[in-house]
Amino acid sequence: MPTDALRFDDVTVCYGPTPAVHHLSAELPCGSLVALMGPNGAGKSTLLRTILGWHRLTTGSITIGGVPCRKASRRIGYLPQRTAVDWDFPVTVRDVVAMGRYQVLGPFRGFRTEDHAAVDAAITEMGLEWLADRQIAALSGGQQQRTFLARAVASGADIFLLDEPFAGLDPSSSADLVRRLQTWAKAGRLVVTVVHDLDLARRYFPQALLVRASLIAAGPTAEVLNPRNLTRAYGASYASERSMVAVPKPAPAPALGLSLKDPRVKPMARKAAP
Amino acid sequence: MSDWLATLIAPENRFLWRAALLCVLLGVSASMLGCVLVVRRLSLMGDALAHSLLPGVGIAWLMVGTSLPALLVGGLTAGLVTAMASGLISRLTRVKEDAAFAALFITLFGLGVALVSKAGTPIDLLHFLFGNILAVGPQDLWLAAGVSTLTITIFAVFYRSILLECFDPAYHRASGGRSTVTHLGLLALVVLNLVAALHALGGVLALGLFMLPAVTAYLWCDRWGRMLAFAAIYAVSGALIGLWVSVQAGLASGPAMVLVLGAGFAVSCVIGPRHGLLRWFLRPVHHHQEESEEHCEVPGHRH
Repeated sequence: MPTDALRFDDVTVCYGPTPAVHHLSAELPCGSLVALMGPNGAGKSTLLRTILGWHRLTTGSITIGGVPCRKASRRIGYLPQRTAVDWDFPVTVRDVVAMGRYQVLGPFRGFRTEDHAAVDAAITEMGLEWLADRQIAALSGGQQQRTFLARAVASGADIFLLDEPFAGLDPSSSADLVRRLQTWAKAGRLVVTVVHDLDLARRYFPQALLVRASLIAAGPTAEVLNPRNLTRAYGASYASERSMVAVPKPAPAPALGLSLKDPRVKPMARKAAP
Repeated sequence: MSDWLATLIAPENRFLWRAALLCVLLGVSASMLGCVLVVRRLSLMGDALAHSLLPGVGIAWLMVGTSLPALLVGGLTAGLVTAMASGLISRLTRVKEDAAFAALFITLFGLGVALVSKAGTPIDLLHFLFGNILAVGPQDLWLAAGVSTLTITIFAVFYRSILLECFDPAYHRASGGRSTVTHLGLLALVVLNLVAALHALGGVLALGLFMLPAVTAYLWCDRWGRMLAFAAIYAVSGALIGLWVSVQAGLASGPAMVLVLGAGFAVSCVIGPRHGLLRWFLRPVHHHQEESEEHCEVPGHRH
């Protein structure tokens, strides 16, 4: 029996003359929490959408537990970028989560007891019970994120692809999301997340996949995000900017996010109070 | 009152019953399609489609003369060509769908105006352009009944696909749905409904039956199924009241219906419970974003 993993074999995806993903091979076993990283235009979103079957493969194959990913599409849960959603659409949290079952039932079969149960369970797992009948614009960013994760859970997925879930989330919502993703990975699910924040990736994501059209490195995050790989991914100018930022930073950096905010707030507060 | 009833029942006023039946049939189907256009932000596309029917009607009239089936087939062909061609242009070139629609419809509308002006404007052709409810015959009713039944059936059978396609086309595709087919199918239904409403309301005013109920329902409803039902009921009642007003006030039926439906929209804009204007005055804003910003006020803090 092949290992239960998401496997890329020599994957190339083209639209237009230059390939967006270039001969990429990697294996992401179930039960891991993977940060998918790389500069803008490196093909991160393309890679996720190729797993979903939106783009045709020019070369290679993507398999899930040895099965071509088209045939395993039910195992995949996808979280779109927040800007891709019309939040004014007349649907409630429960309506969105119920859409997860459409995938299982097809367009015609009616909801059975077990489908309602799956929807309720997903809503409970994401802590959305008291918001279930709210229209989705009346939620905070973190709650909106959880609604779409609950949809993926309701569909029975165990491989989650998240496209920039941390964009626009405040530190506490980000921390909450990370904790949920960690729990999922421990439960044997595979979570692949597009992450832009290096500190966030280092702190919370055990595995990383660094790409720039082709694969730069894959494996434990600390090894993948070494200066040499980062320079290859983001260019030399990035490395020098990074060292400039690092100098004024206080040596013992406490909690993530807050440490970046504090030095900006303090001088302002001093000015305000004479 | 009894006078009024007697007038209604009189055989010479049978046209009114035909008109009312047409409003009921098309009110339901057109308003549901209007909901799709509103939530997909394609409201102006309906306008473009309506205008693009003109050359089809004009060409058919030049070729065959005044024949209802021919004029309808002409309009249908022109509308479908516009819808499908702009769908294809937007998928195959850099041009976005709204721009493709604009480019095609204005060209076709120009062609239509050229044809109509060249040919002179006989009164029965004018009916097709601006609508005349008095001209509604049994043929129109059969067409409306067929189109309405088809639309309602498709909405009932493909409810999930339509909801997914409107709300989250990406997810629809990812979960194995046929996104392009659904989209083009909905556009084709819009054209069919426009053509069926052409004779009674005129191409452009027929849009009132699509957009006004849908956009009014959008102000009142927070669930998709309720929005569809609200729009359908509002369209039918608004159109019937409009018809009654047109008879009483001696107005053309199309404008009268659109004005009644539009008045309801204006009122809803003001008194809509969660999304209207009055909510700004009735209670303090409690939207989460404003709230969180108020609570963590930091002097000089900028995003």
